[in-house]
Amino acid sequence: MAWTRAGRRWSWALALVLAALAVAVPLTVARRQEPPPRGTPVNLELEDFKIQEDAAVVPAGTVSFRILNHGPTTHEVNVIRTDHDPGKLPLQRDGLTVDDEAKGIDAVDDVGGLDIDDRETLTLDLTPGHYVLYCNLEGHYLGGMYAALTVR
Amino acid sequence: MEPRRTAAGGRTGIGRLIPRLPILGDLRLGRRLGWVIFLLIVLVAAIVGYNARAIAQQRGSALVVNQATRQRALVERYTRDVLLVVDGFKADPKDSAEAVRQPVDVLLDGGSVRAPGGDGSRVQIAPAQNWRIRRKLENDRRLIDELITIGDRLLKRGPDNPQYEADVTKLRVLGAQLSSVSNDAAQEITQQTEASISRLVRIEIALGLLGVLAALALGLVLRRAGTEQAAQFRSLVNNSSDLITVLAPDGTIAYQSPSVQRVLGRPAADVVGTTLGDLVHPEDRHDVNESLTKLAEAAPGATDNFGCRLRHEDGSWRHVESTCTNLADDPRVNGLVLNIRDVTEQAGLRKSISDLLHNLARRSQGLVDRQLELIDELERNEVDPDRLQELFRMDHLATRMRRNVENLIVLSGVDQRRRWSESVPLRDVVEAAVAEVEDYARVQVAGIHDLTLSGQAASDVAHLLAELVENATSFSSPTTRVEITGGPTGNGYVLEIEDHGIGMSDADLAEANKRLAEPLSADVAVSRMMGFHVVGRLAARHGIKVQLRQSWFGGVTALVLLPAALLGSAGQHPAMAPPVPAGVMVSPEPLRLADTTAPGWQPHARLPLRRHAAPAPTRGGDTDAAAEAGEPFD
Repeated sequence: MAWTRAGRRWSWALALVLAALAVAVPLTVARRQEPPPRGTPVNLELEDFKIQEDAAVVPAGTVSFRILNHGPTTHEVNVIRTDHDPGKLPLQRDGLTVDDEAKGIDAVDDVGGLDIDDRETLTLDLTPGHYVLYCNLEGHYLGGMYAALTVR
Repeated sequence: MEPRRTAAGGRTGIGRLIPRLPILGDLRLGRRLGWVIFLLIVLVAAIVGYNARAIAQQRGSALVVNQATRQRALVERYTRDVLLVVDGFKADPKDSAEAVRQPVDVLLDGGSVRAPGGDGSRVQIAPAQNWRIRRKLENDRRLIDELITIGDRLLKRGPDNPQYEADVTKLRVLGAQLSSVSNDAAQEITQQTEASISRLVRIEIALGLLGVLAALALGLVLRRAGTEQAAQFRSLVNNSSDLITVLAPDGTIAYQSPSVQRVLGRPAADVVGTTLGDLVHPEDRHDVNESLTKLAEAAPGATDNFGCRLRHEDGSWRHVESTCTNLADDPRVNGLVLNIRDVTEQAGLRKSISDLLHNLARRSQGLVDRQLELIDELERNEVDPDRLQELFRMDHLATRMRRNVENLIVLSGVDQRRRWSESVPLRDVVEAAVAEVEDYARVQVAGIHDLTLSGQAASDVAHLLAELVENATSFSSPTTRVEITGGPTGNGYVLEIEDHGIGMSDADLAEANKRLAEPLSADVAVSRMMGFHVVGRLAARHGIKVQLRQSWFGGVTALVLLPAALLGSAGQHPAMAPPVPAGVMVSPEPLRLADTTAPGWQPHARLPLRRHAAPAPTRGGDTDAAAEAGEPFD
């Protein structure tokens, strides 16, 4: 059957759409696949106002914190090395947030701006010691949003 | 692809729905153009709509952000008021408690808030739709409830409460958490608002780009349509059998359609820049110049028609008819537009018919002349009064036949008239004309001045007057008289031929005067009113003006204005003098009969004596009756 001019146009258009899909779909799927964590994985789940971790003691070396914020507000995760009691960290002058520059506190790293359902991976090389993970938004730490981690 | 058209030539599809745009003139809107315009309109409407929505959303968003940030301030105020009251200071935490719930309730459930600007008006805020915002606001509300519960407990129990310290700490922590959460919600709302506005702006930019593309497409389609229309016009002009010529104000040819190659055998480029007079036959040049000059001085848009001969490249002459329009005021033309049609074939055919007519008439004329000579001879030898009366009647009929034949010669366009080298007395010419008429006895000539008429025009003027006098006698009662008088005017001499007949309607009079002023070429229409056309043609030969008017006494007056150029003083004696017929009343002097032996006077010099007049028919009545009665203009 002889193709009409309009038929050929539609065929070209369909072929272009299929080609675009063939390129776009694998790229999209590839982006959704997360790389496997390096070192020891530690899952952290954040919610108002607590941090749940699936391991309190980990071996020294590379540790990957896989963080998921359940909300319902934005949170952050600060990692400090300290020998202070996790529930009695020194506060700033406002009495509402932790003073991470106080004596006996060694700030390691932090992840901020975690919105609801956000996922983030924080990979650190940790030496043996006591660590505290907490949210330092106003009132969050005082509300009980912290967790202790021991590295051996 | 050409747009489909209905049988009536209308547009179909979307093009049918788009009105003709005046700015485009006669440009036809095809289906494609209709779609482009439709798309452009939709895009513009969408841009306007989105703009309005973006502005409204921006205003609403500003209020929502304002409410969200206000939430934090209210929480801090409530916390402070509770702590102040508990510590013994004066404050109003109850009002604060009521106020602290308001923003989050409005943001979650919708409601009205006071408009910024302080004019007291209120603005409606819609409930939050975004799920993240709603979760954060719901968390906010839960914390507020918890804060107020603790605040109420502190206010109720005071410092004596064993849990006082714990409650104060809890209150401060909750206040801090609420500040954080409210701040987070405000940020989320701000981000969502910015994202929404950014999305609207992107859509507007996209719509704007699409609008630009549609406008470009519209321009391209219009340009293509214009090009197609111009090509169509060029094709029509190029392939037209007519010439289209534009004359510039200085008389040169500013534009010449290519069809001049086919008509005159010349390329258009060779004609442009020359003058039209270079192409016009020398004999026609004066008339053409006169027509064009008149038209150039006429109002814009005026038209005129003229015929002439144009020179072909091979030296021959082409007969053309031109319709000329003054478009000097049109900046796109700025000149006279001539639509010239080649009528050479028609002119040839017309000349053949005229030649045929002329040849037949000439043969008949010869026979009638011989017949009249024979009757003359019989009349001279006859002594019996009865037989002589019969001969006079035969003479009259033959004379009428001769004038009919002469009419045919006039209508054939051949100028083969009798001429005298010397001037002829005007009175003699009038009398000769009267002598041609059957009812000459009813004609009264009075007050003709002693003037002479050019010998070149004498024969034609006598013929012209004879036709008018015969018309007057035929369409008036046999008992009434027809009067011929004369009088000088500023530019010549006027002869008035007045009858007392039934007259003519204004419409018939106007039609007759039109025929007299603009005689047609020989055709069927001419044969119906031959007399008027013959008079018109004879008058046109010598610049004589003839006009019919209603007579004051009933009937019709024919005015014949002889131009001064044809007239002379009475000192120039005539070479001819027609004989006075018996019974003709002449005042102040009697008519003199023509001298039939005078050289050059043959037809009009003869004057048969008549005894009877035919009964007058009704003017404008039955044609056959008029013909039987000898009606000359039939």
